[in-house]
Amino acid sequence: MSFLKSLRKYQFEAGTPVLGNDELEKNLVQVEKVAYSQGLPPEAVSIMLEFAMSLRMGTSPCVRVLKCLIPASVVPQEAVVRAVVWLSVGKMPISTQVLFIKWVLTVFDMIDAKDQLRAIYGFIFNFVTDENLCPFICHLLYLLTRKESVRVFRVRKLLELQSKLGRQSFLLHLLSLYKVFCPELVTLSIPSRMKSGFRNHISPWQSALIAVQKRNGLQGASSMSLVTNKDKTNPRKRKHCHLEFPALIPALNKEAQSEQSSSRRMVPLVELHSFAQLLENMHRIELPAQMGSLLGSSLALQYLDCVQDESALLRLNFWLGYAFHEEFLFCGDGGPSQTSEEALQFLNKLLSAQHFLQEGFSSSEVFLYKFLNVWDGSLLRPQILGLLSNIPVVPSSQIRRLLFEPLMQLFFTSSLFFKCGLMECLNNMLLKWLTWHSIYALEDDLDISLNSHTSINMTLSGFKDSVMELIHFVGRLASVGLQLEGCHCLLLSFVLDFYETVCDTFLKYGLPLIVMPPAGVFYPALFATDPVSVDRLAYIMHRYKVNLTSAKSQEKVTEQAFHISRQTFREFNHYVVVMVNCLWNSRMFHPGMGVQLGEELLLKSNVPQYGSSFDLVHHPAFMSYAVNFHQKCWPGKKDMDLNSIKHSKPWSWYLEYLFTQGYDGLKHFVQSNISWQLKADDGQVDAQRR
Amino acid sequence: MERPQNSVVRTPIDSIVAQRRSKNKSYRQSYRSCLGAASRLGHTPGWTARRLNTSRRTKSHNITEKVNPEDLALLVKTEWQLSYVTPLYQFRHTQLRSYSRQLSAFITAEKQQGLAVEVEGAQTSFRVSFSVVQGLGETDDDAETVLVQIHSKPVFAGKDEAQKLVWSGWLTCINGNPEYLHSLPKDFTCLPLFGSRGAENLTSLVKSWFQQTFDCCFGPLEINQTCLQWLAALWTNCHIESSIQHLKMIWTLPVEPPLQITYTVNPQDAWELWNSVRTPSLESREEEETARSIDIEEVTRFMQGLMSHFYRHFRLDLSAGRLSQVSSALGSAKFSGRVKMSNSRYVLTTLSLLTECALLKMPI
Repeated sequence: MSFLKSLRKYQFEAGTPVLGNDELEKNLVQVEKVAYSQGLPPEAVSIMLEFAMSLRMGTSPCVRVLKCLIPASVVPQEAVVRAVVWLSVGKMPISTQVLFIKWVLTVFDMIDAKDQLRAIYGFIFNFVTDENLCPFICHLLYLLTRKESVRVFRVRKLLELQSKLGRQSFLLHLLSLYKVFCPELVTLSIPSRMKSGFRNHISPWQSALIAVQKRNGLQGASSMSLVTNKDKTNPRKRKHCHLEFPALIPALNKEAQSEQSSSRRMVPLVELHSFAQLLENMHRIELPAQMGSLLGSSLALQYLDCVQDESALLRLNFWLGYAFHEEFLFCGDGGPSQTSEEALQFLNKLLSAQHFLQEGFSSSEVFLYKFLNVWDGSLLRPQILGLLSNIPVVPSSQIRRLLFEPLMQLFFTSSLFFKCGLMECLNNMLLKWLTWHSIYALEDDLDISLNSHTSINMTLSGFKDSVMELIHFVGRLASVGLQLEGCHCLLLSFVLDFYETVCDTFLKYGLPLIVMPPAGVFYPALFATDPVSVDRLAYIMHRYKVNLTSAKSQEKVTEQAFHISRQTFREFNHYVVVMVNCLWNSRMFHPGMGVQLGEELLLKSNVPQYGSSFDLVHHPAFMSYAVNFHQKCWPGKKDMDLNSIKHSKPWSWYLEYLFTQGYDGLKHFVQSNISWQLKADDGQVDAQRR
Repeated sequence: MERPQNSVVRTPIDSIVAQRRSKNKSYRQSYRSCLGAASRLGHTPGWTARRLNTSRRTKSHNITEKVNPEDLALLVKTEWQLSYVTPLYQFRHTQLRSYSRQLSAFITAEKQQGLAVEVEGAQTSFRVSFSVVQGLGETDDDAETVLVQIHSKPVFAGKDEAQKLVWSGWLTCINGNPEYLHSLPKDFTCLPLFGSRGAENLTSLVKSWFQQTFDCCFGPLEINQTCLQWLAALWTNCHIESSIQHLKMIWTLPVEPPLQITYTVNPQDAWELWNSVRTPSLESREEEETARSIDIEEVTRFMQGLMSHFYRHFRLDLSAGRLSQVSSALGSAKFSGRVKMSNSRYVLTTLSLLTECALLKMPI
């Protein structure tokens, strides 16, 4: 505080000689010390700036003061405005003027408000004619320019300067900003070598300022970083220019647009650099010239999520569809290049955009329906499948022609890995459809068509039909696919992924629909040689049971609940009986089971106790556990008799043992479907039937 | 269940309503499909399997009465390179003067990279003029054709030398599929066929200006085999009215080395063949005969006749190759998308065929 008090006397000491003024010297040293150690408080900045710019003691202390003007927190706007006014008095040497503007540029972000500075925009603009000041004034104007400051006469002045000075990057950048705001007044094209922005003027304050800010724990970035942030364009000439996202440029064609632009002040999207700015200007954002450019910027993507304008989205889709068609369908010379890096990047960007929006673009949907017919199943497979999984619900009347037929052909003629990929893709597709349903069905009536005042022709039953078609289709694919690939465990795993989604449609997604897996999926999973698949099947059956039970109880409580067909219950019960008989009761080939073989054929096979060959002990997937368990249970026993595990006590231990190995699916299945008490004679129990 | 409708402008007060509404909307939009309802991330104008018409009318149009002959003269007798264009957003036929200024400033700025150009300024080295070719459209749905011309002074020209026409191009839509045109919102103007003539770099500048100004896309439009066959038949059909002089076809055969076959047919022979493949109409009155429409079957029969004749003489089956060029005195067309219309009477027939081709290329 005493420091400030001592400063205040600068305001009154006019005309005091500089030379031999020991007190001034002493004070200046003091100011410098404070400035470099902790920065000057706002009031001190005001006082010192006023002192320096008024040239009260001539130019040499002025430069010295300017050089140590390191603000601690903020710079009062009034001080800067006053100082600018001093500039025009004209006594100041040009180098000092330059020094001052450089200082303003350095501390620009620390100036507490900019409104008054903007109010004297025209005044500052006048300095542009000064040859030496021009580059720095242009930069300052660049930082201050708003749409309303762009005027025809200013454009003319700058163009006049341009004709005098030639292509100067500072003029160009200011003009390019003018173009952003008023493309109807000025146009230009910046060559790539000039795109670097304002030259980062070496500023004598930079390092001291950073040091002070660090010490004060402030994170204020200096304005020097505020150069035009054009992203580094790839100088490499692209072969397929249609795969480039267009640049985010403001709309050129404004006269034609409706009056809204005149009644409200619009902000071009290009001018926004942060999410905060986006939120602030949400209500008056002006869409760019090319909607496709929104996909290239993450900030713009945030905005796209809120765009309701149908035409804008159509523009986007036209562009996107065009890019797709040109790249993948119309490619005249010898098909799309297999290793097209651009195509890969394009699709990846698009996928991440769709992922962000949680929705696919309709043009990519239209494209896919065409492309699936010509796709070889390997070109950019992950990307294409990714796009495919984003397509919205397809009406059941069309789904066969558009989706199933081409996919079926691809599925049966492609490798195992394609089959797995497609299974994953269809699972994701189903997940997305169900998620949409679960989100929106909660807040609307169950039947969407009831309260629609726009054209929507997807009713709940229509949606259900589509989902059912999809599930049945995947069931067919999976059955045949598993057969073709010899029940490959990788494929089986993807198929089981799908059924993990399917078995929970009612509870997890609120969709009143339960579809059981076909036999071609159920049996390969039950007889799989890896325990994980069997375990997952058990888990899936457990979830089916939970879903069915809760659906049934709801059916009783609420009248309007849906009706699950007897057939579904019958199928489920049948599967459960098969599983229990097979894994638990060792009654594998009993009549009435899914798998039936003639008695004599079984005898011929010379398999002893064929009925128990797939129980939890003898099942190929669990045999190793049984052996292991046997060894642990009866360490001394030489001859191994796995049947001994089936006795009541060891059986329960064995189950415990399996459960501790992480087979939670089995655990749930056993707990929910089998009521078993330890009986003295045998541990065999019956399945509980619904 | 009625929901509040008045939340168009979102204010914090009714934000809950707005949110519900928006979700509501999104629900619908999410359940959209390009086959049905309006969609959230894009509405799709009636996605139908668009295909070339299988039959077209051939009445010779009294085009000279409808269209200014000077305008017409600009279209004929020169070869145009074709492109297709997606619908133009916010294009106004009333703003052509302003577009002229903008495009000339744009070209000047692009030509001298790094120099800003004032849009209103008069002294640009390129003078661009947009104009409407009145009366070319066939139906009310067709947007009026737009002609763009660029004049410039040659670099080494004298002071008082006049500016010369260095580039011209047009955007048109003749007999556009009404279903498609109606499906577009009114912000869009569909002029799907673009023809250009002049320096390649000017073409690409014009295209990029259109792209930036009307958010549209340009793609190459090749004239496919079917379309070329149609042209051959349509021209032959006119032989009575104005002589085709010759019917020349160029076929490319996929052999090693590639074989190109030029097949020129005497006009009278072509006419007789054409007459023989025409399905006779029941009442063949003379004036109706010429106005009768042509079916694709007739075109196919005509081409098969030509090919079997060739096979009889040279034992070479042309159907294994690709028709890549057709020409007659009435015009010429190449697979690469270059077309020339030599007689103004048949401009509309040709342009409606090409409009169809361009509409087939529309991504949605």
